Amino acid sequence: MSTGRTEDADGVRTLPRTLAEDLRGRDDAALSALLRARPDLVHPVPADLSQLATRSSTRASVIRALERLDRFSLQVAEALAVAADPCAPQELQALLGVDQDPDVAAAFDPAVAALRDAALVWGEPERLRLVRTARDVLAPAGGQPGPTGLGPLYADAGAGLSPTRLQEILADAGLRSTHDQVSALAALSALFADRKRADALLAQAPEGARGVLSKLTWGPPFGATPPRAVRAEDARTPVEWLQACGLLLPAGRDAVVLPREVALHLRGGLAHRQVQPVAPEVRAARTVDPEQADHAAAAQAFTAVRTVEEAMDLWSTESPTVLRAGGLGVRDLRRAAQALDLTEPHAAFWLELAYGAGLVAPDGEVDEHWAPTPAYDEWLRRPVAERWLLLARTWLAATRVAALVGTKDAKDKVLPALGSGLDRTLAPELRRDVLGLLAALPRGSAGDAASLTARIAWQLPLRGGDLRDQLVAWTLAEAEDLGLTGRGVLARFAAPLLDDDETTTLSRLAPLLPEPLDQVILQPDLTAIAPGPLRTPLAQTLAVAADVESKGGATVYRFTPDSVRRALDAGRSAAELHAFLAEHSSTPVPQPLTYLVDDVARRHGRLRVGAASAYLRCDDDALLDELLADRRAAQLRLRRLAPTVLAAQADPAAVLTQLRTMGYAPAAETADGDVLITRPDARRTPPRTPPTPVPDGPPPVTTGLLAAAVKAIRAGDRAATVTHRAPTPGPLPRTPAAETLATLQTAVLTGDAVWIGYVNADGAASQRVIEPVRVEGGFVTAFDQVHEEVRTFSLHRITGVAELADDEA
Amino acid sequence: MHDGPLIVQSDKTLLLETGHAAADDCRRVIAPFAELERAPEHVHTYRVTPLGLWNARAAGHDAEQVVDALVRFSRYPVPNALLVDIADTMDRYGRLKLAKDPVHGLVLTATDRMVLEEVLRSKKIIPLVGQRLDPDTVLVHPSERGQIKQVLLKLGWPAEDTAGYVDGEAHPIDLAQDGWQLRPYQQQAADGFWHGGSGVVVLPCGAGKTLVGAAAMAKAKATTLILVTNTVSARQWKHELVKRTSLTEDEIGEYSGARKEIRPVTIATYQVMTTKRKGVYPHLELFDSRDWGLIVYDEVHLLPAPVFKFTADLQARRRLGLTATLVREDGREGDVFSLIGPKRFDAPWKEIEAQGYIAPADCCEVRVTLTDHERLAYATAEPEERYRFCATTATKRRVTQALVEKHRGTPTLVIGQYIDQLDELGEALDAPVIKGETTNAQREKLFDAFREGEISVLVVSKVANFSIDLPEATVAIQVSGTFGSRQEEAQRLGRVLRPKADGHMAHFYSVVARDTIDQDFAAHRQRFLAEQGYAYRIVDADDIL
Repeated sequence: MSTGRTEDADGVRTLPRTLAEDLRGRDDAALSALLRARPDLVHPVPADLSQLATRSSTRASVIRALERLDRFSLQVAEALAVAADPCAPQELQALLGVDQDPDVAAAFDPAVAALRDAALVWGEPERLRLVRTARDVLAPAGGQPGPTGLGPLYADAGAGLSPTRLQEILADAGLRSTHDQVSALAALSALFADRKRADALLAQAPEGARGVLSKLTWGPPFGATPPRAVRAEDARTPVEWLQACGLLLPAGRDAVVLPREVALHLRGGLAHRQVQPVAPEVRAARTVDPEQADHAAAAQAFTAVRTVEEAMDLWSTESPTVLRAGGLGVRDLRRAAQALDLTEPHAAFWLELAYGAGLVAPDGEVDEHWAPTPAYDEWLRRPVAERWLLLARTWLAATRVAALVGTKDAKDKVLPALGSGLDRTLAPELRRDVLGLLAALPRGSAGDAASLTARIAWQLPLRGGDLRDQLVAWTLAEAEDLGLTGRGVLARFAAPLLDDDETTTLSRLAPLLPEPLDQVILQPDLTAIAPGPLRTPLAQTLAVAADVESKGGATVYRFTPDSVRRALDAGRSAAELHAFLAEHSSTPVPQPLTYLVDDVARRHGRLRVGAASAYLRCDDDALLDELLADRRAAQLRLRRLAPTVLAAQADPAAVLTQLRTMGYAPAAETADGDVLITRPDARRTPPRTPPTPVPDGPPPVTTGLLAAAVKAIRAGDRAATVTHRAPTPGPLPRTPAAETLATLQTAVLTGDAVWIGYVNADGAASQRVIEPVRVEGGFVTAFDQVHEEVRTFSLHRITGVAELADDEA
Repeated sequence: MHDGPLIVQSDKTLLLETGHAAADDCRRVIAPFAELERAPEHVHTYRVTPLGLWNARAAGHDAEQVVDALVRFSRYPVPNALLVDIADTMDRYGRLKLAKDPVHGLVLTATDRMVLEEVLRSKKIIPLVGQRLDPDTVLVHPSERGQIKQVLLKLGWPAEDTAGYVDGEAHPIDLAQDGWQLRPYQQQAADGFWHGGSGVVVLPCGAGKTLVGAAAMAKAKATTLILVTNTVSARQWKHELVKRTSLTEDEIGEYSGARKEIRPVTIATYQVMTTKRKGVYPHLELFDSRDWGLIVYDEVHLLPAPVFKFTADLQARRRLGLTATLVREDGREGDVFSLIGPKRFDAPWKEIEAQGYIAPADCCEVRVTLTDHERLAYATAEPEERYRFCATTATKRRVTQALVEKHRGTPTLVIGQYIDQLDELGEALDAPVIKGETTNAQREKLFDAFREGEISVLVVSKVANFSIDLPEATVAIQVSGTFGSRQEEAQRLGRVLRPKADGHMAHFYSVVARDTIDQDFAAHRQRFLAEQGYAYRIVDADDIL
């Protein structure tokens, strides 16, 4: 792999001076390892190695790379960040305490190699260098202590001390006085690098000083007490003595800081209180008979498919509306949960899963509703194992986290199911990790949740925080619900999914699923019991003709007058129902059930309801016969309801007009059956009083007010017509984006001012002279010389950048 | 996949296929913790409830046995969540114990300190407990023993009551087993009760609950207070006790509206106990009038609310509840559990029938059609009058006459709710009517005549629902009832279930008006019969007439 040395064209080995040169020296395998470890660098493919180096050093990319490190690699990087740059391996090993723990020693080289592979560390083996951005992230300069909790070096912390004060400190610390600030601080630094001398100094410390130091040793290194410039002999408190001897230095106006050298001395040279070189072991919570676990998982897988099916069937007829902001209303979720006999979080989980699998979606109408998609019908036709596979595949890859439904986002808004704000990029990766860890356990062992959480926390220390730990718990629960695990054990059929081997999964799962039945048990209490899953046509018919009373391994259906009526409404006849029951019952059909069907059928349809817009009645059936026969009346769509009554589909006024044109003299009827008398009078309201005016106008204008108004208008007008100063003429600088970035980053390092072309949010182009301070996350923070203030510029709005001619700077 | 007889449902019901070879074994192991809910012909439904699980714990079963039974007999894998839930629920019983402390008296002790902390924070518990003796023990006022058990059950931490019982005033009582024997299940029921200390025995009507009570008294050998539903029932208890035990007439007192006798064995009616005068229950002191060693509650499922209240104060005395069903239409099963005790014994109706101790019955619903005139009147009736109207339709009279005619010569009971209707029927059938206003002496006389076979048809109102021993009644015709009460259905069916001398089948008819709420109520009751395993038929009145 990479050696840290570069061979140039002449074959002469030279030391890499930059990351780019280091990368240039790596072989193809090492480069592809880098790109595999940091896929973000491939999008888009960098033009050359310099660009790769630049891109890999951007803050966003570095943070991403750091997030992928396990706990120990991260600790190595953290130690490197507080060590000298470049750093000898021995120094780094000392910071990690290699000699105290053989595990650390064993893990050290692989960890450094991993960091080097990820291009976070470069340089030759004896001179390890952490990428500068990583250093800034892990050991930020200024107020924020890094993850190691170490304060700034003497050289930085003491930079603000006055020479006189520095002399006093040197004297109290028992060091030779020197007037050069740099060598004075170096002397202090050297004092604490020397165990014996440092111990000797600490031995003189007054009582309580140790206690103060121990509070700050492991960070944060800041003490909230106003710094005091006292001499050792005047010190009245331990804190004052520590300040007098330079063990604590001022940090701003009201805090003191423990310099890094001192802290390291107190820590015995270690960067971390606890180094975790070995991944925590995943313990088995219990062992289960693997067969039983597989059966339990398969049963759950079957339930999963059935639950989604039930949910979709429910929404086929009662589709809830889509919230205006997208998602499903809380009430609709509750209703679905009740109808499906699930808790709300469970209902949310299954609905999210169906949504993720493309089985349900908004229907796109003006008044939008959630409804199953055509893909759902397709899905229904597949065998159960394949149906489950789609759900499992969806879940493994989903970034949407159903467990977040009902929690509140940063704006304190409740997150709705099927809405936005549920995506967590960590979720799919973590699910695979958790299942992978379960797969690694001995067969039949259920993973212990706490140890899994600890292990995942070790693997992904920088990812997610609380969310990560919650996700582990959710993953375990959801895997159980989905049937990937049975009683906490990863099912044998689920394991191949982790390697995307779906064929094996299907072949292992299918035989475990219960065989659909074609028979039910009919009982005299009007229940039908399906002692297992039913074939779809039977299940569908039963679902219409009877109500489901309980679900699980079996299904209990109950026939009620209502349910039988429903079947009759759906177009079945009593005879069909009898035949259906007789065919599918493994026992004789009980007499009360037969009676019930007949009894309901007897009453069914005795009353008929239809819609008509108007009716015609006439005591003379012959006249009605005549009307029905008359083709001119066809447009009224007359139908005979009784010998003396016709129903019309046209409204009464149209019927009247048509009948009159046909030469009849019909009379209109009121709702009570009286003849409606149309009055010839024009329409009039009852007596009304006219509205009284409501005084709401402006009060009368006084002369004084008028004068003042005119004056104000004149002033405004003058202000508007004054000509504005024209912007600086000249063309905007134009440079390619990569060059813009590189130039700006250089300018940050050199502190030079540059000339940029900038297009603001309204599209107006302008030129500015800026001194960039920081380039990160697509923004440049810079001092704008034109406006004399610090501003943030979007990188993508900078048209180009040019260095200033000397006279301009 | 193994092929067990049991299917576990997600709503915690268990379906047991009765035709399966292992069904009997399975029934035996699940009966202690699952309540038999429905027992129709092919598949029985049991329900696992917290109360049932705690009942099982009280009877000495542990969660492992329950889980093992489910896993062993289940046809499909049992959802882990359900097993965990069962284990958790069972684990809640007995974390708290009511015990007798030699120094402090009654104390509540915890094996789990957190649970004690939790319940002691409850506002309902605070007034019931006294000083905290140590982190795991708190003093309980002895008078609140029942109250605290009730509250703890509601909080979901049922306490195990190990504080024991007072022996009460001793009184010699023995069973006089001359020419008869306790049936095996009666013996088991009495043993189960005695072993547990207090509790409820569930036996079908006609299975001889009185004898279980007598056997329990013979074990206690102490003064006994028996609470029954009404005076007739009280007389029957007395009659039975004199006949079956060493007790004499003089030792048994009746405490009812008519008489107020307090003897070593006293039989009181719920009605007199719950009579309230000027806001107080004047007869309450009966509970304290003697040092009772045993209190027997007949028909526990009817126990009126005030009696629960008194019972809460009687926790130091042995309590035996007798009932045909733990179903209470008011849902106070939890109070029965915490105040009287857990279920100690039950036997399904059909099983006892199979053993020949109760008669098999043929249940039949007869549907009568209202005349057009009646239908119109029914449609316009006030909602609260509707049931009465359709239940008392004149058409029913003809059907009843036909049915009585069909079974002429066999002892027949016609049971109804509405006095007018009963009077009319009595007249039409030329049979005596027993109703609320009939004097007890007159009732006894008529019942005796019926028992002797002098009268073959008796028209009775709901006063006869309970505890009337008419062993020879073979046909029951119910013409109206208390709406859809399942309890009443059970009781009425029980009237004809006493084993017959000639061993022939009993008949149970319900005459119902078609297309009215009478039919809806009937459906509700019929469902109960079907769930008890009685096949029933529905016939049209025209087939009878």
